[in-house]
Amino acid sequence: MVWGPLIAVYLFLAGAAAGAYLAESFISFKYPTDKKTRRWGRIIVPVLLGVGLLMLMIDAEAGFKNPLRFFGLVNNPASVMTIGVYIICMFMPISLVVAVLELFHKNVPRWLDIIGDIGAVCLAGYTGFLLGDSLGVPLWHNSILPALFLVSALTSGIAIVSLLGFLGDESEFEKMRALRPIHIVATILELILIALMLFIAVGKGAAGAASVEMILSGQYAVLFWLGLIGIGLVLPLALDVFTAGTANDHKAGALAVEASGHACVLVGGFLLRFIVVMAGVTMILF
Amino acid sequence: MARYGMLIDTRRCVGCFACRLACQMKNTLGPKEGFVHFEHLETGAFPHVDAEVIPMQCMHCEDAPCQHVCPTGATHTTEDGVVLVEESKCIGCKYCMVACPYSVRMIEEKSGVVEKCRFCWDDELGGPNNPSCVATCIADARIFGDLDDPESDVSKAIAELGAQPIAGDLTKTKIFYVRG
Ligand code: SF4
Ligand code: SF4
Repeated sequence: MVWGPLIAVYLFLAGAAAGAYLAESFISFKYPTDKKTRRWGRIIVPVLLGVGLLMLMIDAEAGFKNPLRFFGLVNNPASVMTIGVYIICMFMPISLVVAVLELFHKNVPRWLDIIGDIGAVCLAGYTGFLLGDSLGVPLWHNSILPALFLVSALTSGIAIVSLLGFLGDESEFEKMRALRPIHIVATILELILIALMLFIAVGKGAAGAASVEMILSGQYAVLFWLGLIGIGLVLPLALDVFTAGTANDHKAGALAVEASGHACVLVGGFLLRFIVVMAGVTMILF
Repeated sequence: MARYGMLIDTRRCVGCFACRLACQMKNTLGPKEGFVHFEHLETGAFPHVDAEVIPMQCMHCEDAPCQHVCPTGATHTTEDGVVLVEESKCIGCKYCMVACPYSVRMIEEKSGVVEKCRFCWDDELGGPNNPSCVATCIADARIFGDLDDPESDVSKAIAELGAQPIAGDLTKTKIFYVRG
């Protein structure tokens, strides 16, 4: 295992930042007058990404000791990591400008928001391609990961934005429920993509099979079944479907249940990256 | 311009680790660091068993996957086909390590830079300087030379012994193995 928990945290935070941007931009398109909630959602995006990038730098020890070397990251356009740096160089400033505009109660121009949306989709997708280009780790070396990480970024983003809704007033929080159908579809898609990823990995020789074994019945089985599948995906899905009928329930208890559902989604979003990174067995040749 | 490569004959290798040690000395590596490592294989069923030691190191792949992913360009290939890491550019992101299918790259403990076999490349010489694993091998299990020159020892031996890359066409390697 060459890449470890720090990389998993980065992948999660970058995805969550991208997802939160997309969810927030959707909400502000649908309900342009609800400002309170949105501010926090806008501000948290560059913070999440910034913390994530810090993890990445700490993990790159030789660069951390000689920070000037990080400028070299733009050198190889064939590398997904370099492409990621280009995407971040575009997305980070936009998310900062948008955050500052919200902070000072200015309107975010529509065109800027749309460019930010494109950047967010690229950011979430690239985190999948980053692992996907690793010939030496069969579990990662597939074309499912970008789609999987993108969908998971979306669910994490919706969860963050919905949780921040508690900071706004009740009427605004309720509008976050407009995101619910997207969340339900994305969660089902995520379950399918996880199954596909494991299925492909099994067919990729000894290392791929060893990874899948670690996830389904070995070292990471409890985290996978209980943490990711149970708490991270099925439980929030059940809550969503279950509470769908009581859409306008104002009781504090109902809100708390809804909030814990969103917290579970975040746990699942992190565990997905953690398990995929940690169970990445390098190619077994003999 | 040459295209440097190596032949390793595992039928001759006795697994004495002298090459690893010589490499550690030449490249001033720590006792736990090494550009050469060994795979130990047992084949057959008792009583007809066989043991094989396979020395592994950077295969100096053409279109090297490690170079393809290296964001800084620290990993590069010389005109003579030797894959090198330029230490002053490497950030230690380890992307090259997850891209290499042979697990032959390592992190240098003191600098955090990623390194690997460089065919004893000598900057002043502008080429490989008598690779120490070859020079030190007690069993003559290693031959080094120019793969593009059909008259070189290594080219002749590869042709004669039918030496093959260690993992088929996984990548196009410049190390060829003769196995029992
Ligand atoms: S063997 Fe590994 S380190 Fe060496 S050139 Fe090939 S991919 Fe790169
Ligand atoms: S660790 Fe160094 S050589 Fe390897 S990919 Fe990163 S910058 Fe390139």
